[in-house]
Amino acid sequence: MLTTISLSLLVQALINGLLLGLVYTLISLGLSLTLGIMGVVNVAHSTLIMLGSYLALELLQRLGLDPIISAVVAVPVFFLIGVLLERLLISRVARTSQTTGLLVLFGVLVVIEGAAILRWTTDTQVLTVSYTNASLTLDGIAIAVPRLIAAVIALALVVLLDTFLRSTLYGKAIRAMAQNRDAARISGIDTDRLSLLVFGLATATAGIGGVVLAMIFPFDPQDHYRWLAWAFLVVVIGGLGSIRNTLLAGLLIGLIETVSSILFPFQYVYFIVYLLLVVALLVRGQGLAGSQSRAL
Amino acid sequence: MMRHAADVPAGSGRPSPNGLVADTSAGLSMRGVTAGYYSHDLVLNNVSLLARPGKVTVLLGPNGSGKSTALRILYGLLRPRSGQVLLDGREITAVPPHRRLALGMALLPQGRSVFPELTVQENLEIGGWLLMRDRRRLSAALEAIYARYPLLKEWRQKQAGSLSGGQQRLVEIGRMMMASPRVILIDEPSVGLAPVIVDQVYEEIARLKEEQRTILLVDQNVRAAVALADYVYTLEYGRNNLEGERGAFEDRLEALIKSWLRF
Repeated sequence: MLTTISLSLLVQALINGLLLGLVYTLISLGLSLTLGIMGVVNVAHSTLIMLGSYLALELLQRLGLDPIISAVVAVPVFFLIGVLLERLLISRVARTSQTTGLLVLFGVLVVIEGAAILRWTTDTQVLTVSYTNASLTLDGIAIAVPRLIAAVIALALVVLLDTFLRSTLYGKAIRAMAQNRDAARISGIDTDRLSLLVFGLATATAGIGGVVLAMIFPFDPQDHYRWLAWAFLVVVIGGLGSIRNTLLAGLLIGLIETVSSILFPFQYVYFIVYLLLVVALLVRGQGLAGSQSRAL
Repeated sequence: MMRHAADVPAGSGRPSPNGLVADTSAGLSMRGVTAGYYSHDLVLNNVSLLARPGKVTVLLGPNGSGKSTALRILYGLLRPRSGQVLLDGREITAVPPHRRLALGMALLPQGRSVFPELTVQENLEIGGWLLMRDRRRLSAALEAIYARYPLLKEWRQKQAGSLSGGQQRLVEIGRMMMASPRVILIDEPSVGLAPVIVDQVYEEIARLKEEQRTILLVDQNVRAAVALADYVYTLEYGRNNLEGERGAFEDRLEALIKSWLRF
């Protein structure tokens, strides 16, 4: 029997799922870009997300900056971090084997995580701003304001990035590079420079993702693996076909998480999501390497 | 008259067999190029070639003789271990591929090379990447390509990957011609295409020749290539073997192809 209470609970879960799904899309975009376009499995992606969260914390504590503004500040900061990472590390190992790149990036993960623990300790942090506990209520359905803001920022980024890749000549060049790197080079495209741009953009989305996550979840230097798993899940389910598929996969995972959390005890939610990862890998049958060939 | 590489002293700037002086300051050339992918294995061993301006130069040889490697070196996709690549007398050995279009060079690679998930028009726009800062010139170049290849205009909204192999070849040619190159390198233009399409591809190369573009053609389709050639080189085991004007080769085609079958 579906009572009004459980119906509103369901609607609540759906809304929360969509909002969360947008955030999951945002934190997966960078992974999808670097894997799809450059063939780089960036396992350090989640530490960049974590750094984004600490950027928001520092800016709030030192300068009193609202995380919404920090999300904007994160763009140039993380773009630069990405460009440096690409120039100093990835471009040197990218032409060798993919395993070498994987190991190098795992090293980056360890270094960033270690540095973060030294700087910020392993204490759990929360961002508290004026609207942290605010919510909009409509017909008994409450929408947490931070989640709404996080989702709006995420959606804006998804739309921007999708438009950039589809409609600008630079975006088309990036897609061309993803589809046939040699053909792009002989068409006059400097693929090395474009790789810098791609990695910079991917890292910028990770940074904003971190800021946005900090608005809605507590964080510490070591809990980022969860976001790495979530991001890989979104990439595996959505494939590297397009930003839009990443969005669909992100929304799906957000919905599954919130809906299953009203149907099952909390501890089963992770189990269900990881089960989904197994199923997705089995159904797609090619894993990450398979999705790579369907680059953008 | 055809001559054997062994009869000729190494290096270039030497007199060509028909008495004309091969002017190495014009056209695209490689001099004494040695190259290989692994240290113990040479794919090219002291190879010298010259694509004369406004002429079709054909590079022939059995499988594995180093033809495609020579093209990769000429276009900068691979660096030689020694030797030079020159364009109109200027050394360009180390110029990366993406800067070669600006020098008036272009490469039509072997096999499929369209961007399958971009539309035909987007593929052409990528070919006009050098003009990206100048929208007006880009659209003028696009219109010129549509005028030259009207079929491309019909297909412009289609995804390039949805076209047939022959249609994709036309997209690749159109994309290459967006930059209106003077010097064109063509690698195995007919591989994997239906015979009727193959004829069209060679007709297109003939048109490029009429337009006085410098063409270096690497081809397994010996007969078709030699029919277009002004000058022919052959490679064997990564070394210069025979070279000469087309006339010298036409009579010997049969023997040449037979000798390669043993490879």
